[in-house]
Amino acid sequence: MGALVELRERQDIGEECHETTDLALFVRTSDDDLAGWDRQKIVEAMVREAGVSPHVADEISREVQSVIRDSKIKFVTAPLIRELVNAKLIERGFEEARKRHTRLGVPLYDVDQLILHPNKENANVPHGPEATNLTLAEGIKKEYALLKVFSPEVGDAHMRGDIHLHDLGFIDRPYCSGQSLEYIKRFGLSLPNSLSNAKPAKQPEVLLAHMVKFAAALQSHFAGAIGWDAVNLFFAPYLVDRSDREVHQLAQMMVYEFSQQAVARGGQAIFTDINLYWEVPRHFENVPAIGPGGQFTGKTYGEYEKEAQRFVWALFDVYKEGDGTGRPFFFPKPLVHITEKFFRTEGAQDFLLHICDVASEKGTTYFVFDRGETAKVSECCRLSFKLNENDLLDAREPWKMRFCALQNVTINLPRLGYKSNGDDALLFKNLRAMMELAVKAHLEKKAFIESLLSLGESGPLALLTMAKDGSPYLRMHRASYLIGMVGLNELVKIQTGEELNQSTKALKYGLKVISHMNLWCKEFSERYNMHFVLEQTPAESTAYRFAKLDLRDFPDKATGIVKGSIPFGQIYYTNSTCLPVGSRENPIERVKIEGLFHPLIEAGSITHIWLGEARPSKESLANFVVKVFRETQNDQIAFSPEFTNCLKCYRTVRGLRSSCPHCGSEEVDGITRITGYFTKISSWNKGKLGELRDRNRNKGYFSNN
Amino acid sequence: MGIIKVFVKNKCPRCPQAKEVGNTLREAGFNVIEYDVETPDGLAEASFYSVQATPTLIVADQQENTIADFRGVVPSVQQIHDLFYNNAGGQMQC
Ligand SMILES: [Zn+2]
Repeated sequence: MGALVELRERQDIGEECHETTDLALFVRTSDDDLAGWDRQKIVEAMVREAGVSPHVADEISREVQSVIRDSKIKFVTAPLIRELVNAKLIERGFEEARKRHTRLGVPLYDVDQLILHPNKENANVPHGPEATNLTLAEGIKKEYALLKVFSPEVGDAHMRGDIHLHDLGFIDRPYCSGQSLEYIKRFGLSLPNSLSNAKPAKQPEVLLAHMVKFAAALQSHFAGAIGWDAVNLFFAPYLVDRSDREVHQLAQMMVYEFSQQAVARGGQAIFTDINLYWEVPRHFENVPAIGPGGQFTGKTYGEYEKEAQRFVWALFDVYKEGDGTGRPFFFPKPLVHITEKFFRTEGAQDFLLHICDVASEKGTTYFVFDRGETAKVSECCRLSFKLNENDLLDAREPWKMRFCALQNVTINLPRLGYKSNGDDALLFKNLRAMMELAVKAHLEKKAFIESLLSLGESGPLALLTMAKDGSPYLRMHRASYLIGMVGLNELVKIQTGEELNQSTKALKYGLKVISHMNLWCKEFSERYNMHFVLEQTPAESTAYRFAKLDLRDFPDKATGIVKGSIPFGQIYYTNSTCLPVGSRENPIERVKIEGLFHPLIEAGSITHIWLGEARPSKESLANFVVKVFRETQNDQIAFSPEFTNCLKCYRTVRGLRSSCPHCGSEEVDGITRITGYFTKISSWNKGKLGELRDRNRNKGYFSNN
Repeated sequence: MGIIKVFVKNKCPRCPQAKEVGNTLREAGFNVIEYDVETPDGLAEASFYSVQATPTLIVADQQENTIADFRGVVPSVQQIHDLFYNNAGGQMQC
């Protein structure tokens, strides 16, 4: 009895096949010998990868060989051999060596499920071969991150659900970023590994093409959102002498280009934010404008107000139409900045009505409030940066205005409550310890990214090291480190017996928790000379994951606390510092109360106003927006209507329905915002479905058209 | 009787003046609470009243509603006196 061994490389990667032979080592039994079997390979792997002494490695390899021989198994794979070796390592108490010798991979069953069924982890990912590739790669990189990048303490805390390390599958990338069009206007488009370099664009259509390509390149280097600052203003010098029709055409191209980038990474749309202004922001007024060919036009941006306004108006004409089936565009998300200067700028009232019309019709508009003299750049679905003095200096040379957040770590607040048994002192002690752990996680991720960046042009992040303006594209010294939170409302309920909006006492308790976190961020920022800031985590899946894990690990305590339906498994925690989605106060009251937290959360916040099937008049929304700007501290609001899209006749109607009112088909899909962006409801996880059920849709509050 | 809340922090040029006003009012029998916005309790209270600058002085009723506010400015002791006594029988219900 024996075996014929075939070494097959599924991938032809030449010299490196030595490493990958165990991807596809087939052992077919036939004769009386383990023909082709190379025991020495096992020894080498143990010595090289796990640091086991040659003597022990030799012993183990012999034992494994005899196990395989004695077992008479007919089909031996490399993973099996590796696990047999691992078992021997454990027998000898070599736990660390076993860890280093670990194989990362995916069970057959899981791959089967993946290829056949959609991914509900991220509603932004459609289902298809590219999406499957992405998920498989994410799975392995996630394991890698937890074993190799993060310490066991941090990794275990993530696995337990004390914290959530976002985008672990994208461990080798920074988290999200904010871009300036000025960079590609000035330097053109030349990407590492690209076959050709493009000089600065001469035509607006070419600039748009560069922007889209660069966005795709950036998407493959960042885990999350790509934001663009003052897009309408920076396009303006290209739009002089262009007719309204041409400007409309360009606006349409921009929106369709970004909304249809589902051909990009893993079939995932590029999560794009475009920041828009009606006025010329004060910090750009006197900045020399860059125009066609990357040349300075001899004018300042202050002189391009009209072109910038024509473009932003046209963009909202496009948003109002929606896509070919009347659905709202999911991306690019238009963030309109409302400032004091906005109201002083000619035509502001008409423009406000225009964008409120779109908000009512399609929900697309985001209203960002920059009060006082602080300028802001918004990035991810909720991330924004307040520009400090250094940034304002950069604004003189806007191509320098590139920002990033390296990682986001979210803290499970309700769990801290379960562990503190109503003892305030203990709670704050535990909370601080958790913040320290989050900081540790950030330090570990930072060290890893720095090691990748240090490889420079030959490293995996070559794009981010290009230094066309004298400093690396990714400005590490300006990076932020985000600390998010989920379930403040539930924590407050555990500690005080009331939800955030049920009493002044409860509300103040919530403010105290976030104040602690805010001040600790400042302390850690000083200690490590890094910029730690709080963020409202966009918890598409985290709010569900934390609730599920808490219900499993703290069933007695969590049962009365988690939101949603336990019997249906549709459970969740309230996002970040938000009031419960179902609470009945009127929307201005919600905006006001939630807004009290926003100044404490420096990386940006948002309040959602769910509209259901209502279609308020643009005037009533405009009044509301002005009131929010004048009377609250709220950072950002968005109105979210709901739609039903028919998969048979492709028409879109308002409200969530179980069948199409036009053709009667029951093959329909709902559309509304999951957190900071629109998606199809069929892609939502159970927790979010529970939340959808609970949302207060503010019926009857706004006057209708 | 209303509560006078004085919000201050270190390294704030006009905060000593605001503290002084607070102390004088306290000695005169007013209910004055001083909050350092660089402590969690102070920052939480400041957030509750949307205090964006120091010094700020807020006069609140028993239900914690704002009756009068002086944001980034320091009122005189007299101004606060007037506020209380001119409205003593009125709708302010201090
Ligand atoms: Zn239909």
